[in-house]
Amino acid sequence: MFLFLCAVVLFPLAHAFWTSLLRVRGLSSRFVGAENYQHVLTDDAFWHSLGVSLTFTVACVVLHIGIGLAMALLIDELRFARTALRIAFLTPWMVAPAVGATIWLWLLEPQFGVVNYLLQAAGIVSGPIAWLGTPALAFASVAAVDVWRGVPFVMLLMLAGLATIPREQYEAAAIDGAGGWQRFRYVTLPNLRYLLIVASTLDIINTIRHYDIIGVMTAGGPAGATEVLPVLLYNTAFRGNRFGEAAAIGVLLLLIVLAFSIFHIRLTRPDRGAR
Amino acid sequence: MRGRRVQWLRWLVTLVALVVVVFPFYWMLNTSFKPASEIFLSPPTFASANWSLDAYATVLTRRPVGRYFLNSLAVALGTTALSVTLAAFAAYGFTRFFPRGAMPFIVLLLFTKMLPETLLIIPYFRLMSDLGLLNTYAALVLAYSSFALPFSVWMLIGFFRSIPRDIDEAAMIDGATYLQAFWRVILPLARPGLVAVALFTFLIAWNSYVWALVLTTDSSMYVLSVGIANMVGEYRVQWNELMAAAVIAALPVMILYSLLERHLVNAITAGAVKG
Amino acid sequence: MRSLNPLAAAVIACLAFSASAQQPIVLQWQTANLTESQYEPVWKATIAEFEKENPGVRIEPVLVARKDHWTKFVAAAQAKKAPCIVTVDLTTAAYNGYLMPLDKYWNAEPAEFRRAWSEAMLSASKWKGQLYGLPIWGGTYAEIYNRDLVTKAGLDPAKPPKSWNDYMVWAKKLSGSDHWATAVLGGKTDTTTRILLMWIWSNGGEAFNADMTEATFAKNPKSLEAIKFYLGLVKDGVAAPAPTTTNYLEQTNLFAQQKIATMRNAYWALAKVSGDNPAMKGRMFVAPGPANVPNAPTLTSVAASSISASCPYPEQAWKFIKFDAGKKWTVERAKVANWMPTRNDMADDPAIKSDPLLAQFVQIGNNARSYPLPSPIWAEIAANDIVDAVQKALLAPEKTEEIFTDLDARLTKKLKDV
Repeated sequence: MFLFLCAVVLFPLAHAFWTSLLRVRGLSSRFVGAENYQHVLTDDAFWHSLGVSLTFTVACVVLHIGIGLAMALLIDELRFARTALRIAFLTPWMVAPAVGATIWLWLLEPQFGVVNYLLQAAGIVSGPIAWLGTPALAFASVAAVDVWRGVPFVMLLMLAGLATIPREQYEAAAIDGAGGWQRFRYVTLPNLRYLLIVASTLDIINTIRHYDIIGVMTAGGPAGATEVLPVLLYNTAFRGNRFGEAAAIGVLLLLIVLAFSIFHIRLTRPDRGAR
Repeated sequence: MRGRRVQWLRWLVTLVALVVVVFPFYWMLNTSFKPASEIFLSPPTFASANWSLDAYATVLTRRPVGRYFLNSLAVALGTTALSVTLAAFAAYGFTRFFPRGAMPFIVLLLFTKMLPETLLIIPYFRLMSDLGLLNTYAALVLAYSSFALPFSVWMLIGFFRSIPRDIDEAAMIDGATYLQAFWRVILPLARPGLVAVALFTFLIAWNSYVWALVLTTDSSMYVLSVGIANMVGEYRVQWNELMAAAVIAALPVMILYSLLERHLVNAITAGAVKG
Repeated sequence: MRSLNPLAAAVIACLAFSASAQQPIVLQWQTANLTESQYEPVWKATIAEFEKENPGVRIEPVLVARKDHWTKFVAAAQAKKAPCIVTVDLTTAAYNGYLMPLDKYWNAEPAEFRRAWSEAMLSASKWKGQLYGLPIWGGTYAEIYNRDLVTKAGLDPAKPPKSWNDYMVWAKKLSGSDHWATAVLGGKTDTTTRILLMWIWSNGGEAFNADMTEATFAKNPKSLEAIKFYLGLVKDGVAAPAPTTTNYLEQTNLFAQQKIATMRNAYWALAKVSGDNPAMKGRMFVAPGPANVPNAPTLTSVAASSISASCPYPEQAWKFIKFDAGKKWTVERAKVANWMPTRNDMADDPAIKSDPLLAQFVQIGNNARSYPLPSPIWAEIAANDIVDAVQKALLAPEKTEEIFTDLDARLTKKLKDV
């Protein structure tokens, strides 16, 4: 059974790595060694895409964790309609990402979208805003939608974590004269540490490989402002039909994510051995 | 009183957040009730005198949404069963027999998640095609299981670790083998964790699209996400029907989660927090 | 496997054993059109009739969303299990070895059958001199106007603009504070490229050299002039804002909701608009797009049915393709889905003649270049590189020349690398 698991894991990895060493043209392929990597690494599009990916991932993960934690703290204290509230806040996670992205696409539509309508009706803006039309705004919009998608999961984990913190710790801190912020810093955070690490690591991995939202909303536009690596990879593979190169991008992406994760875990768990 | 004011403030912020989070889903419902000619009106209508269940009726009768639903259910349940079983065995093995192998194994599993799906489509298709598993539930179950495993194993390892070995030993002193100890004693204790993993896996399998797209060609085997995507024609899209189908797709997950939410929180609590 | 009642399975097995009848040949058919709701009754009828005439052959439709059609096809083709009958980007698929050459079957057909397709039409389905598909339907692009908005602006629907200057006069009159004359397409699909090409041709320019080894967007001054004019419509205030997110869907929405008075689109857009806003039905008129040179060609997008390289029953597949290309189904497609015929013997067909707009489109289509352009990397160029350049130019109009010179260099490099 472990063999099965290993096979399931290793097969796609091996295949991707092998493909990255080939120049694939339809059904025929030719071994070209590191040529694909050379091609990819000297292409501006790759570095630009990498930059976008990193910015996007860092921004989104920080917001996911931050807002998720804040939301958890917020609704933890509320007793009324507890379950209903939690389900409601989990909705974005339960709807398929592509469906959610399509709806946001509409809501943000310049002429017919509800968001512009509401903003104009409230007098906040004078004319329709093209949320996905200009680079900076498009980036912010897809990031916002990704935050909408990603917060529920973090919030759920945090809620669970908060529920385990023993009351006594808070009471002890209060007796010692700690204010709200200090209680948060010295009681809440340390208790949530492991959960935060789990949540953020998974979140990084999920966000950096996420395709659906950007694929549906902007397909990497405008002018490449939202072209994260998964989008570049998809375009290279299925629009450009250059599978070897796409595999190379994929392997590079994997190495980047691996490095990122290891760095992240090292940074946040220096005392792991103590457990 | 200061406490009251803080409570009101909490509620206010929660309500605002709730609106932002739930609004897209409300828009889904709104659109699914509208007649086709009202969908792109400017200004948009929030509630319409013409609301009806026509779109739902059409979707359920003219398109085999019922069949898609069953397929999704079969695949999701199959994935959940397989995944939970494998994860449970893996977690048990790693906490009882190879404790130091846990972390590297998890990292290895995470590798599959780090590769974007785009790269895996073609090798998986070839593999399933060679195994004769195209257009079967088995293919999808295998594919989804491989993605759901990392988080499941991670969570269950945390959970199993919190169950002291004395319990195993007590069972075995009574004459049980390792397997029997696992089955009769450990598993029931770990039930909340298993429930959490099951819910999480179900969600992944239920909403996934790319795999079903590629691995099934017979429309009687399509799952809901594929059925919904197929409603997006280029020359004409029945948005209200599409949204009706999307709502139908989202409902089971919501129902499942609301029924089992308590277990979920308990599970994450006990399992992951303690590491 | 799908769960079969064991008893039923046993019975079926016995029957299969005892009957000496042949197993039916199953041909899979994949085209993105199968998921177009208005086409559904037609393809079902097509299959039903074909199967009746050809017992022993079953056609199994493969339904897939348009945006994922190519992905699914490639995944299957790579494993040599692609559906037998497909409609895909012909040059790219042929170049990659996914399609079977059809010359053998084509040449075996009687001359009167082959006469129905002009040489120009067939050349769109050829790669390196071999025929890889039979053109089934097409879409000719023209300028579609909203009659009511035009009359309201004091313009004469019987005299649509012929030159760019005339067009600008119309455009200025048709624009106001919250409505515009037209929309510039800058979204990330290849439709953006189609419209751009038409504007380039209408100025006598060219986007590529004759054998598609060099790009001349900026190199050809007439092309650059056209690009600047067309993209400049936004700056001039006569085109709807947010062009970088405007695709076919947004454009037809704007038109249906009367936010723009004219659009460059294909015949099928008429049905889309009427579907979105029934009040628009019959309120549209059509004219060739404005041009600065006489006889400027428009664009016809051609879709052909092909046989995939791994098909084990090419003769039966060809039979179906011929059947589907017949007059009856061509007319049906035109009627319900507004896909234009590629046969040249349809002009006198009563169904075509009775629809004046269709007849006009057919006439406009007599002077058209086929699309996609014959390059194996066209799918990528059209949907990625050219669109990126258009988007960049829309965001920074003062850099248009620089952006397109850059595009020329990049495309030429890619084309030479093929």
